[in-house]
Amino acid sequence: MADSEIKAKVKELICSNLGVEPDVLDYDTELFGEDSIGLDSVDSLEIISFVDDEYGVDMTGVGKEHFLNIDSIAAYISEHKDN
Amino acid sequence: MNNDEMRCVITGLGMISAIGENVDECWKSAMASKSGIDHTKTVDTENCYSDYAAEVRGDKWDNIACTEKMDRVSKLCIKAVDEAMRDAKIEGFGGSERAGVIMGSCVGGVVSVEKYYTKEKSAELIPQMPISAIASQAAGYCGAGGAVMNVANACAAGTISISYAADLIRAGKADVVVAGGADSFSSVPFAGFTSLHALDANPCSPFNHLSGITLGEGAGALIVESYEHAVKRGAKIYCEVLGSGISSDAHHITAPRPDGEGQMNAIRWAIEGSGVSETDIDYVNAHGTGTAKNDEAEFLSLRTIFGGKNDHLSASSTKAMTGHCLGAAGAVEAVLAVKALTENTVPPTLGFSDDDLGLLAERAGSIDFCPNSPKKKELDTVMSNSFAFGGNNASIIFSKKTGSMKKPDKLPEICITGLGIVTPAGNGAQKYIESCADENAPGTADLCSSVGKDEYDELGLKMAFYRKLDRFSQLQAVSGMYALKDGNYTVNSDNATDIGIIVGTSEGSLSPVCDFEMLIAEKGNANGSAFKFPNTVYNAAGGYLSICSGIKGYNVTATNGAQSGLFSVGYGMNVIRLGRGKAVLATGTDENNEIIRGLYKDLGLAADTCVQPYSHNDKITLSDGSTSILLEDAETAEARGARIYARAKGFGTACRSVEFGKLTGSGEALDTAINNALADAGMSISDIDAVVGFADGHTVVDKIECDALRRVFGDKLAKLPVISVKKKLGEGRAASAALGAAHAALMLHGDIAEYGCTYLDDAEVHTGTVKSAALNNILAVAFGTGGSYSAVIISR
Repeated sequence: MADSEIKAKVKELICSNLGVEPDVLDYDTELFGEDSIGLDSVDSLEIISFVDDEYGVDMTGVGKEHFLNIDSIAAYISEHKDN
Repeated sequence: MNNDEMRCVITGLGMISAIGENVDECWKSAMASKSGIDHTKTVDTENCYSDYAAEVRGDKWDNIACTEKMDRVSKLCIKAVDEAMRDAKIEGFGGSERAGVIMGSCVGGVVSVEKYYTKEKSAELIPQMPISAIASQAAGYCGAGGAVMNVANACAAGTISISYAADLIRAGKADVVVAGGADSFSSVPFAGFTSLHALDANPCSPFNHLSGITLGEGAGALIVESYEHAVKRGAKIYCEVLGSGISSDAHHITAPRPDGEGQMNAIRWAIEGSGVSETDIDYVNAHGTGTAKNDEAEFLSLRTIFGGKNDHLSASSTKAMTGHCLGAAGAVEAVLAVKALTENTVPPTLGFSDDDLGLLAERAGSIDFCPNSPKKKELDTVMSNSFAFGGNNASIIFSKKTGSMKKPDKLPEICITGLGIVTPAGNGAQKYIESCADENAPGTADLCSSVGKDEYDELGLKMAFYRKLDRFSQLQAVSGMYALKDGNYTVNSDNATDIGIIVGTSEGSLSPVCDFEMLIAEKGNANGSAFKFPNTVYNAAGGYLSICSGIKGYNVTATNGAQSGLFSVGYGMNVIRLGRGKAVLATGTDENNEIIRGLYKDLGLAADTCVQPYSHNDKITLSDGSTSILLEDAETAEARGARIYARAKGFGTACRSVEFGKLTGSGEALDTAINNALADAGMSISDIDAVVGFADGHTVVDKIECDALRRVFGDKLAKLPVISVKKKLGEGRAASAALGAAHAALMLHGDIAEYGCTYLDDAEVHTGTVKSAALNNILAVAFGTGGSYSAVIISR
């Protein structure tokens, strides 16, 4: 699966399940922290659960740097999923 | 310097939990350091990382007559109530309006929700689902005829119930109140806390391993009684109920403030309100859930409040034995705290190894957390703390001494200074006023309010905030913020703790609960949604409103049928009268969506074509919305130059409990509620110029309204205009009840110059128009299924 497809799916999750409006969310938009769109630890659980279900990749306990934005989440998925 | 009028005492105790089926069994288990936590076999734990729970095992306790059809939560509640009543040597209250029932719960009839969505969609299960059923059914069991209400503030609900019970007595509204809380273990909370990774993979270890909670279940009941009433009947007195503090964090929907501010506010207000000092507290039954976020904030709060001022403090979390009983937690812990006090023994915090003790010493400072074993100690005064989702904090003090509770010098005048109205006809008070020009019936029997980006932008709500809200919370947040804006009330660091929130709701978060149940029924308990679960607690809406408004004062979600939206006004008046705040947002909110409509359809109550009040139907036009009323101490309102719509002069409530889901046979409680409101306002029937009624077209509802008004007002009824907000906007339950009061305020202020009305003389119903200039005092009334009624008098 191409990275672009993964990114589109992660974005779809964040918009449809976490209530983020699509027009404020680009693939490099910061997700967590002060200057971000304001996701928090509860949202990260939903993302982790989605990534596990969809790609069989466990992101539990994975470093913050992989949750910076959709780009970094997708990169982690690409690197760890079985092809 | 104690005023006997302010003294409240505990005269009976009841409890059921994983460590015992009655108070003695529970206490003996606690003294033997016995935990009730074990592997659960009652919920599906496939693929779940934890399978521990502290359940009430066996069913020998489940033998109380007339409870057969009730949800497990009500059975647990009534088991504890029965024990407490016997302990207090009260056979029953015989319908006395001076006796109330205030019960806390977090998840309510969730076992019935699970049965409905996984086994059989039986209509009989539906009335057992909402939290509203619990206190109403308990009131039926013990014959209480006064204030009957559930406090739905998640894990703080049990503590708040006892606090409110004492407040009702101190305000002269009751002589005796059965207070406490109940919750049952089931899939929804289990899957929810699993999704949040908030369960400990092992039995919970509060103030120690901090790796999560273990869910419990059970009920606690305490007979709270005025000292005078207890002495008069020769009751055994366990202890005094002193002061209590209730606060909100204005921080996060699930996590407590790391700086402990809200917790410390509640604890400090309890101490100040009791007229005692930090050094007088001998033992704290702490919230101590076992999560890092809670326990670290609580370590900080306890050390900050008591450090340097109290070198003999003991504290413990009994949750390592009982599990976290959610809405029952504060109640069972109050029972254990009272037992600790009277037995001069501190119950232990279980779970410490020798290695753990070293770390505890570092974290605890000078506080003794009684690791592993109970400790004999002379106790005079004890505290019980509960903190909850939604950022709600509650602290209460029990004592062998009388403390120094102060009676307010005089009752403050209470004004209505802001209105936030969300209805299917539009949003904002101005839109509502404009909509009143057209009194035509709606073209549909399925009415929904709509809030969205326009409202969020107007109110300055950011996406990072509102994206989290379920629709019930959205309606509440928007109406609450509109009320503050309309009242030109700016919440800032000077007044944030002076203003509180009372959310009134009939069904509350029932649809998010059903939605969550459907999700886990399909995907399994390991696959709940961490995003959705927080919105299943009824007090989420009040919590979100606190977060977006910055309100840090009193915060309670009150639920007992549709009348909750008017009860909240009376509750808010009591908060201000007792000096617990200078302003309160009193609200009524309920939603109509696919799930709620489906339930009303299954009950045979949702009409397909529009039903009008007094139309002799057996169905209703289902609607929704939210109304928030800013109540304010008159001095404060006048000092800030607030516009005053009207004054809230009197409140009355009463219950004649009938089967929950029904009303027939309960109508005389409405007479009592009206007469109590008149007495509270110092008025007689001749002072009332109009009534905002609650008729919704259902014959039973309409007849109860007509009959009660006829009994109370007699001949005067023929010329008394009865106004309906449901004619145009349908049955919005708590939203309609609060809207009735708001409509009265708008008429008294002249914003609505005239409105259609009905005259209920004899068997005939005549319509007319009432001009607001002729009105000085309006009575608003509301009903709640199960037989509870509220009445509020709004004056020019």
